[in-house]
Amino acid sequence: MADATLYFEDVTEGDEAPELAHVLTRTDLVTYAGASGDYNPMHHDEVKAMAAGQPSVFGHGMFSMGLLGTAITDYVGAGNVTRFTVRFARQTWPDEELRSKIVVTGKRKEGDAHLVDLDVRLHNAAGEEKVVGEATAAVPSRA
Amino acid sequence: MADDSLSAIIGRPTGTTVVTVERGQLVLFATAVRDDNPVYRDPRAAEAAGLPGIPAPPTYPFVMGNFGAYPELQIEDAPTGNPMAEVLGPLMAKGGIILHGEQEFTYHRPVFAGDVLVGVGTVADAYQKESKGKTMTFVVVETAWSDRDSGEAVCTSRMNIIHRL
Repeated sequence: MADATLYFEDVTEGDEAPELAHVLTRTDLVTYAGASGDYNPMHHDEVKAMAAGQPSVFGHGMFSMGLLGTAITDYVGAGNVTRFTVRFARQTWPDEELRSKIVVTGKRKEGDAHLVDLDVRLHNAAGEEKVVGEATAAVPSRA
Repeated sequence: MADDSLSAIIGRPTGTTVVTVERGQLVLFATAVRDDNPVYRDPRAAEAAGLPGIPAPPTYPFVMGNFGAYPELQIEDAPTGNPMAEVLGPLMAKGGIILHGEQEFTYHRPVFAGDVLVGVGTVADAYQKESKGKTMTFVVVETAWSDRDSGEAVCTSRMNIIHRL
């Protein structure tokens, strides 16, 4: 998690958030199934997934978005995200390393809010994109 | 499927859900998305971070209807219906797969443990297009969550579901 508050004045276009990297496990998928209530067997039942023509179980798209959300709030602070939108580009597979890439694309003031715009992505070690999107956060200002 | 039967579901309600946001559920969810931030677990950490309560991780609104939607909370005369199933059911009978194509959240304020929220779902869009020899049917469902007691808008979730055949 983030150790320090991110202030508006400290953000510059092109800044990158610290990378979050995680090797996906079947235990992650079972944990997410229980915590989300999404019991689609494609995400936890290897027998059914293979019978459906999949090479193995695969990750919930919303697990990928959730993991990316963790990387975003680590950077901008929990409770500060005002918008988070993604496109699901590819399935995720157990044993793949998922890595976040979060880049500041701009910052602006809107009324009293100090907003930071982010390009947010999750990709594997080979650089294949899994989730591609954008987020905006309202961060504190020193002013 | 003819385009007019698809466009006919635009604007139709997908149901209203009243949920209570429970602290224990937020801990489970934060753990599941690999977030060890103490603000999700300890009200003192949340207060130190300037938050009035324990917040929900950003993608929690997608699943909160699966928990805490207790029967006594529900609004009896709320509009019901499942236009997405009406459209996707016959398509699935022909085969193909359902994909979650896109997901968007707009937050007016964070969701907090203890909130009682009303989610009103509507079909925001429905359309079909051909892509690489496949028929893609898109249904976009928007759920507007508001605080049951104050009426204030809390967040809007927009889900784009694709049937590909």
